[in-house]
Amino acid sequence: MTTYLLRRLRQSLLTLFLVSIVVFAGIRALPGDPALALAGEERSPEALAAIRASYGLDDNVLIQYGRFIGHALTGDLGTSSRTGLPVADAITEALPVTLELAALSLLLAVVVGIGAGVVAAVRRGRPEEWLANAIALLGLSVPTFWLGIVLVLTFAIAVPVFAASGYVPFGTDPFDNLRRMVLPAVVLGSGLAAVVMRQTRAAMLDSLSADYIRTARAKGLSRRAVIGRHALRNSLVTVVTVLGLQLGHLISGAVVTEQIFVLPGFGKLTIDAVFTRDYATLQGVVLCTSAAYILINLLVDVLYSVIDPRIRLGGAR
Amino acid sequence: MRRTAVAPAAVALMALTGCSSLQTSATEVGGVRMTDERPVRDGGTLTVALNADPDKLDPTLAQTLVGRTVFSSMCEKLYDIDQHGTVVPQLAAALPTTSADGRTVTVPVRKGLTFSDGTALDARAVVTSLLRHRDLPGSARGTELAPLRAVAATGPYTVKLTLQQPYVPLTGVLADRSGMVMSPTALKKYGKDFTNHPSCVGPFRFAERVGGDRIVLVKDPHYYDADRVHLDRVVFKPIPDGNVRLANLRSGDIQIGDQMSPVDVRSALTEPKLQLFNSPSLGYQGIGLNVGNVKGLGEKPGRIDTPIARDVRVREAFELSLDRALINKVVYQGMYEPACGPLSPQSAIAPGEPASRCPQRDIDKAKRLLREAGVSVPVAMELKVSTTPEQSRLGQVVQAMAKEAGFAVTLRPTEYATLLDETDAGRYDAFTSGWSGRLDPDGNIASFLRTQGAMNAYGLSDPDIDRLVERGRTEADPAERTRIYAELTRRVRAEHTLIYLYRQKNYVVASTSVAGVRVYGDGLVRVRTAGYTR
Repeated sequence: MTTYLLRRLRQSLLTLFLVSIVVFAGIRALPGDPALALAGEERSPEALAAIRASYGLDDNVLIQYGRFIGHALTGDLGTSSRTGLPVADAITEALPVTLELAALSLLLAVVVGIGAGVVAAVRRGRPEEWLANAIALLGLSVPTFWLGIVLVLTFAIAVPVFAASGYVPFGTDPFDNLRRMVLPAVVLGSGLAAVVMRQTRAAMLDSLSADYIRTARAKGLSRRAVIGRHALRNSLVTVVTVLGLQLGHLISGAVVTEQIFVLPGFGKLTIDAVFTRDYATLQGVVLCTSAAYILINLLVDVLYSVIDPRIRLGGAR
Repeated sequence: MRRTAVAPAAVALMALTGCSSLQTSATEVGGVRMTDERPVRDGGTLTVALNADPDKLDPTLAQTLVGRTVFSSMCEKLYDIDQHGTVVPQLAAALPTTSADGRTVTVPVRKGLTFSDGTALDARAVVTSLLRHRDLPGSARGTELAPLRAVAATGPYTVKLTLQQPYVPLTGVLADRSGMVMSPTALKKYGKDFTNHPSCVGPFRFAERVGGDRIVLVKDPHYYDADRVHLDRVVFKPIPDGNVRLANLRSGDIQIGDQMSPVDVRSALTEPKLQLFNSPSLGYQGIGLNVGNVKGLGEKPGRIDTPIARDVRVREAFELSLDRALINKVVYQGMYEPACGPLSPQSAIAPGEPASRCPQRDIDKAKRLLREAGVSVPVAMELKVSTTPEQSRLGQVVQAMAKEAGFAVTLRPTEYATLLDETDAGRYDAFTSGWSGRLDPDGNIASFLRTQGAMNAYGLSDPDIDRLVERGRTEADPAERTRIYAELTRRVRAEHTLIYLYRQKNYVVASTSVAGVRVYGDGLVRVRTAGYTR
């Protein structure tokens, strides 16, 4: 197991390095001069030249990359060309917001998705299944932006139970934090809940028709034990894989959700950085997101072995 | 002329409808409503939503309009404008005096003022700031302060500015960021990092900034007029999406929404808890045609071999195919103002022509001009528009109108930073070109229309225009200046290179629980005297 983990870590670092090159080159391939984006409405050639000089934009791309990676290794992600604030600070401030949003959405998706999936499989052909399927279809097809606005209009304006925007750290005021985070989590989690529901239902239907379930039933086990301990546990392997893959979508989906609810997370940081060609911020954000993505994949692989010990990890060989 | 007619009416209306809701003011959406004079109580936090995150909070380096709104609460300037667009002293004790030859300008500085960090304001502080604005590498103020040869303190509260040549726009320039005075102590202590610790004279002082989320200002006890400042805190939040800004206004999470689009204002009209402020803008919006930009900004114009660049008759035909009033009605709900020149009729210094005198749509004449020019129809051209919904609607309307005269316009929606890049480099036929406007007419004209001007992306080069720009800058007599700019406007219109279409209005939606907010022609939201109603 340790050998396996080490190997996976090594692979992850290599991936991260490659990502840094792609990100760096990709951002610079974008049309739109950062000095121009920065200068905005008023742009004299002298001001543009001074901006380029002060951010080292005139240097050779290789030199720029070397400087970036050298600083990044020491934890210095540079200074935002737009606000003049350190990128590392911006990321440290944005990270908890997006993580909390992703965690709440995931929780919601797991509880609602798995619950509805199990019900749909067990109550096959009955109204419950039909209802769960219909809701899942809705969850998959409704555009995030629309759902967000509708929820705000309903639950923040018409019936002001939740807040329409803003972020308060959980540590400062847990109640206010949840009041602000529930709607975004619902918006972000709804799509994932639908996916989880469908996967759970399909995997459960597979399991329920398997021989070992018939055996379990024949042994006289309770219905609860058959469904929970045998069918569901075996179905979860597929569900966890899907969750792992979907987590990436959760983070990219956060871009839109954070715009609607004005949450100062990664998504908002990314969008602002793209539009102002803020290279330093964009590099920092994408690099951190990639690191998170790689870490999640690693965790999913490890989780497999916990859920199903039959899955042999490569290190055993 | 129009301003004198509108302003008293607006004042009377404000007096009558002291606590008018949005619905009341909406009935005169075309009018002007700059403030709400109801009495307010002390205390409270006001949250203002901006349509973008401001850039650096350093008056020397700052570039954005939203940044100017934040500065208006924490960095006062030597001069300011009032509701009529007239320049009035702010940190200066009086309007500047200019020597007979126009080359020496004396600015008296107010006594007894203190920066937010406790440093006293004097002539030397003003000199330090002006020189930094002019000389700091990357300064966005360098161009407008370039005519400044020397600045010196000739007394503890007197600053003498020596100019290379007479420069009439100077007072207007000192009523913007170039006139902001920064604490010399803070400049010395923080240097380039001043942006994270800005310190000026203002009703509020900087407290905190979280990039992309908020800028927090708190009431400054050092402020000379602190008794008239009612709020404890002002929070500026960037919320780029108009729908989201509106939803937050409705829910009460924010109290003021800046730069609201006509569509959002229309849909806010039904909400009794909201009120509308608006002021005419000093800027313009239009379509720029590439007539000679082959090598990029600041380079010598060259020859472009397209019908529209080659022949002024084709450009005139294109302009004649457009109906300004209809564009305003269809795209902007009739809430902006048709326009056909660089100067707003509201400009106090040199008013431009009213919309009623703009040329009318004339398809027959347009077709005739195309025939005379001997071009094969339809004349193909590509119009670059930015990616906002409003701009794509504008593009579609222009496309449909121009088609009737014999133009085949293809639209190319382009994200803003890319649009700037391509148009500055000269890689375009036509693009939607706009400018938020400056107090002095020179700020709306010189950089755009002068040969090789810093923002002349059109490649326009006309010796008469260049001469008039120069004369406008050096002529001190206001009546003569008005005549010069009227002549200049005629010249520019005859070129049909920058086709002015409309002027935006500054629409600000606020909660009815807030009063004392001021919205003037420069588009800034002033909250110095704002507060929650009693």
